[in-house]
Amino acid sequence: MHKPKDIFIEGAIPPAMIADSIAKHQTKTEIGAHSIFLGQVRKDVINEQQVAAIEYTTYKDMALEKMHEIREEIFAKYPLTCMHIYHSLGIVNAGEICLFVFTSSAHRKEAIDACEEVVNRIKAELPVWGKEIFENESYQWKQNK
Amino acid sequence: MRLSILAFGQVAEITGSAFSFDHVSDTDALKLSLEKAFPALQYVRYTMAVDKTTITANTFLKENAVVALLPPFSGG
Repeated sequence: MHKPKDIFIEGAIPPAMIADSIAKHQTKTEIGAHSIFLGQVRKDVINEQQVAAIEYTTYKDMALEKMHEIREEIFAKYPLTCMHIYHSLGIVNAGEICLFVFTSSAHRKEAIDACEEVVNRIKAELPVWGKEIFENESYQWKQNK
Repeated sequence: MRLSILAFGQVAEITGSAFSFDHVSDTDALKLSLEKAFPALQYVRYTMAVDKTTITANTFLKENAVVALLPPFSGG
């Protein structure tokens, strides 16, 4: 098996990267619909402490193999033209983007359904952990709902 | 022979993130030995992956297996 594509980037996902990614699809004129999910770090208040940032870590070898498997299954299930996924590692401050999922297809339903399913599977199946760091520098391990 | 153990998230705070451990025959035996070596592990939730595959039942451990201790995922 060839080395699976890396989805991780250090720190927050810059909004300009998202804009560039959209612009790159102008040459793919068979596309009629894009669906984009952006995860943003929320300033939750827990026991009167505000979340200042989330620090993400991963078991990278396993995460990339799993992501490759998810990608293959999603392409088998939906008629997508393309799919791009980026997830942050390290510190992402409240208000910044930590997950970018971008699916494109001829018609909107497939792009929207595939995007939703990929986000759900990333949250449930990728070995990634978020540590919520509070403004007083204490922390707790994030739990996905 | 030794097993390579990788730990992540809350589990790594208890055990350290990478260490080698005496070989045992299967993952149930490993869990018992680990919890003897690190009693705090009994109080956290984690699953195991053997050579990058999550296991759902007791699994035989080959020599040089890499076992990962994985607390509940919280990406995204």
